[in-house]
Parts: sequence; structure tokens; C-alpha cells
Amino acid sequence: MKDYIATIVKNEQIAENIYAVTFDLGEEARVRAGQFGNIAVGGTHLLRRPIAVCKTEKKEVTFCYQIKGEGTQKLKTMEAGTRLNVLMPLGNGFYVEENEKKVALVGGGVGTFPLISVLREYGDKKEISAYIGYRNKGAVCGVEEFERAAKFVAVTDDGSYGEKMNAVQAFEADLKAGNRPDVVLACGPTPMLRALKTLVEKENLNCYVSLEERMGCGIGACVVCVCEKTNGARARVCKDGPVFNVNDVLL
Amino acid sequence: MANLSVNICGVDLKNPVIAASGTFGFGREFNELYDIGQLGGISTKGLTMELRAGNPVPRIAESRGVILNAVGLQNPGVEHFIKCDLDWLKSTGTCVIANVAGKTLDDYFAICERLDGKVDMIELNISCPNVKSGGMAFGIKPQSVEEVTRVSKSALKKTPLIVKLSPNVESIAANAKAAENGGADCVSLINTLTGMAIDIERRKPIIANNTGGVSGAGVKPIAVRMVYEACQAVKIPVIGMGGITCAEDAIEFLMAGAVAVQVGTANFTDPFAMPKIIKGLNDWCDKHGIKNVRELTGTLQLNER
Repeated sequence: MKDYIATIVKNEQIAENIYAVTFDLGEEARVRAGQFGNIAVGGTHLLRRPIAVCKTEKKEVTFCYQIKGEGTQKLKTMEAGTRLNVLMPLGNGFYVEENEKKVALVGGGVGTFPLISVLREYGDKKEISAYIGYRNKGAVCGVEEFERAAKFVAVTDDGSYGEKMNAVQAFEADLKAGNRPDVVLACGPTPMLRALKTLVEKENLNCYVSLEERMGCGIGACVVCVCEKTNGARARVCKDGPVFNVNDVLL
Repeated sequence: MANLSVNICGVDLKNPVIAASGTFGFGREFNELYDIGQLGGISTKGLTMELRAGNPVPRIAESRGVILNAVGLQNPGVEHFIKCDLDWLKSTGTCVIANVAGKTLDDYFAICERLDGKVDMIELNISCPNVKSGGMAFGIKPQSVEEVTRVSKSALKKTPLIVKLSPNVESIAANAKAAENGGADCVSLINTLTGMAIDIERRKPIIANNTGGVSGAGVKPIAVRMVYEACQAVKIPVIGMGGITCAEDAIEFLMAGAVAVQVGTANFTDPFAMPKIIKGLNDWCDKHGIKNVRELTGTLQLNER
């Protein structure tokens, strides 16, 4: 974990309301799939923006973000050459065990981006199938990345790109066709994760989900971004997560 | 190099910069970024006798220049702190201030008694705006401020007592005086101001608790004014806080009469905020020919009106 003074190399729109920003960190950072960075956008914004790392390449790191509030509005206007503080890598990240050969990625909305980092880290070592749901054709992005997976199924809520279904339904259809993974890694809206939890419980599949929550410090000190665990305890999404075994957390 | 050390109620601090309760946990996470032993002190996350789960999420929101939080005193309980964090925290070399809260006067007595002699100072949280019972209830009226202070002080044989004051009151001077009358060795202020931020699409408050405590750069002028008023009202030392982001901010509080300051929200914006403030204090003193940071305290000269 380090607070990098990062220089924007590129900051461009990649889909409807979605941008990708690439920073030069000045040195190579060791980032695990599913970890995130806490980006200081400055000005009157006292909180940083916690955003999942999408990919890293030598000294460069790329984050994809949805325009949601004033902070991301401001970030989107920043041009190449702008320097920002980026505290990273944060959180535990996804980890695929040695004996887990077949990996299923289930993602929806902005939750698809941390899954790209999984594909980048494990793509050569594992047989990865990606089931990605988008709102509509305009929201489709990251296709060139997901196409590197052994299997890539893209679906949309309205059927304007791929079949009309959600990512969990796409995963379930393939599961029924006999494509059973050793582990499922997921990130997306809570209703999607809930549906997935029901499915993996029924199918007795090992599954890890990356959660999102409003954060304060991003490093585990302020206990703002907690989630409830099934054992009654509370866990910090930023430090104990963001990736949890789906059986351990209440969604 | 200026001398930055200060002494509060007989306790020596390397410098007057203390981590504010609730923004710094028990120090372990920030120690991964820098040696927290360089800090003047750390006020721990608010401790209660029993473990507390805290409020539902979301617990934080942002508004221009400030943040709002309603964590609701989530903490592992005082025994867990004593067993798992205290020795390590002391080993870092920083001054350990245990921030404590309770629902009843008995709770305050019990937790003060439990920590007496174990930590460098105890900071009484009588002003948490985010829990339904206790906390804030004690912090509003001067009579109850005095009472909770007196009860807590009676449990302390060795450790000096700081009473942290709420700004959500009729008269900060009266409450500071009440704490002093109750036997406080020091007061700290301001805790957060109660506020609300609304998600207009959902027509609901962003924070699950509906209201939250407002902190950050935007509250600083209010905090400076209140610290000044408290300093005028009492003879015991005052620790100032509220929106401190840089050394210059800290100096305002010192000039208003504070002997030390606490830094909270700035740690979220810049995790290195406190080491930078300590360095900035030294640089400012050097530049102004000040040999001892203590010389700054209470040097404010009001404009003639």
C-alpha cells in the first residue's frame, strides 16, 4: 500500500456513462486481482473515490468508473498530465486456489471491471468462463478483454446486445448445459449477487463476491464501510474485503 | 528545529498533533503507511464496556468541504482493546488516549475504572451524536456534563481526564465550565455538528441513521470560535479540533488558546496529513523565529471594536 502521485495518461469514455482512466504510477505496483485504489479528486471533496483496479501494465494502472456524483463528474474532466494521489493497492482481492482449474466470472454493470483484473491475472493458468450482464447495448464495454476468456457470454437487460437475460441467468443456463466451474467469482449490483447466492447454494458451488459500500478511510481504520457476516460479526469491506466467500456475508 | 513538545496535565507529548477518535482506529492501519510513534498522540476509536455493532450502512456521506458520519460507536469492547491493542499501541511510543463512552453513569464509571493507570489519558465521549441512548444526552446540558465528569473522575486515581465537548449546545463556554467544575483535567472540542445530507433521487437521507456528525475543512471557523470561547471560560488546558487540514489550521487553534490539536477527517483525504502537519508546524515556527510551539498558545489578539 502506497500513496502514489499518479499522472493521468488517458481518461476517456468507453460506454454510456462509463469512463476509463489510466495512470502512470512512476513505478511498477504489485496489484492482486480484485484490489482497489482510493483516488483523491481534490477540491471540496474530502473523501477519496474507491475504485476497483481494472488492469495493470508495468507502471500503468487503469480504473473504470461510472459517473455517479460530483466526484466522478470532476474526475471525468481531468486531462492527461493531471496528477492525483492514488492510495493502492487496497483490500484483499480475488484469489484462485491451485486446485481450482475452472473459473466462472459473473458480473453486472460496473462490477464487470474487477473481473477483468481476474482474467488478466489468471487467464493463462485457468479455464475461465465469463458471464457478463449489461443494461443495454450502449453500456457494453470491456468486450475485447473478456473475449480472451475461454468462454464469454454477454447479455443485456433489454436484449439489444446478446440474449435478453441477466448475468446470473446466463451462468445458470451454461451450468445446466454441463459447464460446472470449481469456483465462481462475482461482482455487481446487490440484487444480482443475491440471485447468484441462491443459485450457488442450490448447486453447492464455491463462490466469492466483491462487495461495494460507501467508504471513509479505505484502509480499515474508520469502520464506516461494514457488511454483516452470517456469524453475526461485522466486517470492513475495505480491509477484510472487498472479496468475501458468499456464505460468510449477508447480502 | 523548533521544540514541538507539549505537556498536558502532566503528560508529555512529542508534539501537539493528536489523531482524533474514530478516524484512526487503534492505529494499526495507519502504521502500515508511516510510523505512528511520531504522532503527539492517538485518541482511540470510542470504547464501551461491551462490544457494539454500531449503526446500519451507509454510515458516511459527503457534502462540499465536509463529510457526515454515523458509525454509532462500533467497537470491540474495552476488554478486547486491553488484550489486543493496548500494549502494541503503547510500544509505538505515542501518547495513548482512550476515548470512552457509555449509556449510563455506571458505564462511564466502570470503563474509567477499568482503564485507570493503563493509558496516558482518558477522553470522555459525552457528545456522540449518532447513538440513540447515552453519549449525546450527557453532553448537552451543563448539569449533566458536570455530573458525568464528576462520576468518571471519581473512578480515576492515576489517569488524567479529558472531556470531549459537543458543539450542538446552547453555550460552549457554560459546558466547558461545567466539565471543569466536575473535575475534568482538560477539555477537547469540537465533536461533530449534527447534520443531514439528502439523496434527492430517492428523497431519503444518504446515511441510514438519517442524521450524521458533520466534520472536515468546512467546520473549522465554527470550531475555532468555540475553542476560543472555551479557552476564555476555563483554566484547564483545551485541545482544539474541527476541520484541521494543514499546519496553518492547527496554528489557528493554538493561537485561539488550545495547547494541542486533534486531526480527524483530514486523515481520510490524505493519510499522511498528520506527519505533514507536524513538519509544517516546525517549518512555520522556524520561519517565524519561534523556538517553542507552546509560545503560540493563546496569542490571539482580537480586533478592537
